[in-house]
Amino acid sequence: MPDLGVASSSIVSGVLLGGMLALAALGLSIVLGVMRLVNLAHGDFLLVGAYAGFFFFTFTGVDPLLGLPVIALFVAALAIPVYRYLLQPLAERGAEAQMMTMFAIAIILENVFVLAFSADTRSIGVSYAALPLTLGPVTVPLVYVIGFAISLVAILAVHWLVARTAFGRDLRASAADAEAAATIGVDVNRVRMLTFALGVACAGIGGTLIGTAFQFSPSSGGAYLLNSLAIVVLGGLGNVLGTLFGGLALGALQSVGGLALGDGYRDLVGMALFLLVLAFRPEGFARGRR
Amino acid sequence: MKREKIAPAPRETAVILVAFAVLWFAPAFIGEYGLQLGFRTLIYLTLAEGWNLMAGSAGLVSLGTSCFVGLGAYVAYGLLNGLDLPLPATLVACALSGAALAALVSPALFRLRGLYFTVGTLALAELLRLIMVNLSAFGGATGIFLKNDPPALPILFRYALAVAVIAALTVTLCVRTRASVILRSVRDDEDAAAQMGVRPFRVKLAAFMLASALAAMAGAVQAVKLGAIEPYGMFGLQWSIDVLTMVIIGGVGARLGPLVGALFVIALGEALADYPEAHIAIAGVILIVLIRFAPRGIVGLAAASGHTVRRRTLA
Repeated sequence: MPDLGVASSSIVSGVLLGGMLALAALGLSIVLGVMRLVNLAHGDFLLVGAYAGFFFFTFTGVDPLLGLPVIALFVAALAIPVYRYLLQPLAERGAEAQMMTMFAIAIILENVFVLAFSADTRSIGVSYAALPLTLGPVTVPLVYVIGFAISLVAILAVHWLVARTAFGRDLRASAADAEAAATIGVDVNRVRMLTFALGVACAGIGGTLIGTAFQFSPSSGGAYLLNSLAIVVLGGLGNVLGTLFGGLALGALQSVGGLALGDGYRDLVGMALFLLVLAFRPEGFARGRR
Repeated sequence: MKREKIAPAPRETAVILVAFAVLWFAPAFIGEYGLQLGFRTLIYLTLAEGWNLMAGSAGLVSLGTSCFVGLGAYVAYGLLNGLDLPLPATLVACALSGAALAALVSPALFRLRGLYFTVGTLALAELLRLIMVNLSAFGGATGIFLKNDPPALPILFRYALAVAVIAALTVTLCVRTRASVILRSVRDDEDAAAQMGVRPFRVKLAAFMLASALAAMAGAVQAVKLGAIEPYGMFGLQWSIDVLTMVIIGGVGARLGPLVGALFVIALGEALADYPEAHIAIAGVILIVLIRFAPRGIVGLAAASGHTVRRRTLA
């Protein structure tokens, strides 16, 4: 058994990572809520953000965390044509056609990453990547704390957007009942497009943060997708703060799983949790869906 | 309401059995390369028949094919290495284990409808793969070897053929008899079906268990051919991607969809064998185009154009 310092540092690291993943999960959750679409390419859009951060840093030398607004806009701009030309024409055909289309985009993106950037594992090498931060017995990398803080701010910003703005009101109306929202003059199609862009941008920002703190490769997308889904079911669909706590809980549990069973079991914890929640407490996931 | 032409089950059974008899003697006439391709096509056909039974007839879109392929592979190695069971008995045991795993996880996967089944099967496949990678009892990440030499390729080809014929006959039995009405009623409107006295859970479970049993057998035959297995390959997402691609390209719900799709995907793979990444990306593009413009796949396209031609000649 590892000593207390290692264990507590590992759990705190897990919680910080969970906070970063929660941002990506939030993007998945709002798309699921508004469009009834499980975006199977979400993990690959996260990698788009990670690669965007990597090349932004390589070519400009500017800290990618300062470039986050640019990266978010870039990823959102990619999402708009995907919605407009690939998803919107399928809107009348039920959720399956859209989900399969996103699955096809996921496998295209993964293989385009390999072709364009090689299968190498990378990380965004900012100068402070290796700096530790020590507080009592707990030592965690400084980038984890910075990434976590940025993620938290972004999650609160999305929360404000959904809860307090006119767009958020339209978004919530479209999620609750698209037909009724259209009747009272909400442009549901536009709301869906912007929601999709927002959701994908959340994945992109999360990707840059995760790419700064961890390593990533073209095939990492699937694991990020499934961990994000686990967070969404843990926190309950459509619940912004629930998603945040779901992320923190998943991160902590992954660290506990890694400490108790070995590092290889970290991702396994997410899948197992996902299936267990699905089996025993599915209502958080299925709210309003019939 | 579109009338669906239902070929009588006996005629379709006869066609399948004739094909079986003819292909049984194929190893004498086609070379090594032909046998390799034929073997792969038969394995894919088996998986696609099962997937199509779930998606086309019961509305269950699965991304978990790999978990049953991998299960079959590992169960087969356990029985062949540990108990020295003969291969036919091993295949039966693999089929049973596939059906058993499907039954075991069905409460979690069927609790929620539609999309969540898809996501649940994806998570299940990933979970099993990670377990196999981490558990050293099953060889861990390095995998395990088959103790005895695998049978020669012509014999393996016949095993694959037998499994594919079992798959084809199973599906014929399900979709060309009264059972098809029950299956489709669940796919089209679960609530209405339940009102009529159909039990949707049992119907979906039956389709899921049959498809899983077939996938486990296919995985077992594939594994025996390889002579050594490891979790990344046998539990790889590529199985699930390939199967889904085949059936969507061939035509979901069409009786010939799996065969047409399997031949198409194998041909595409051969044409682009030197560019594996481009091959998968192109398959993705084809998927998107077909989902958008030809939701009934190549078989649907062919049927539609045949229809137009007939109408023109009549006019």
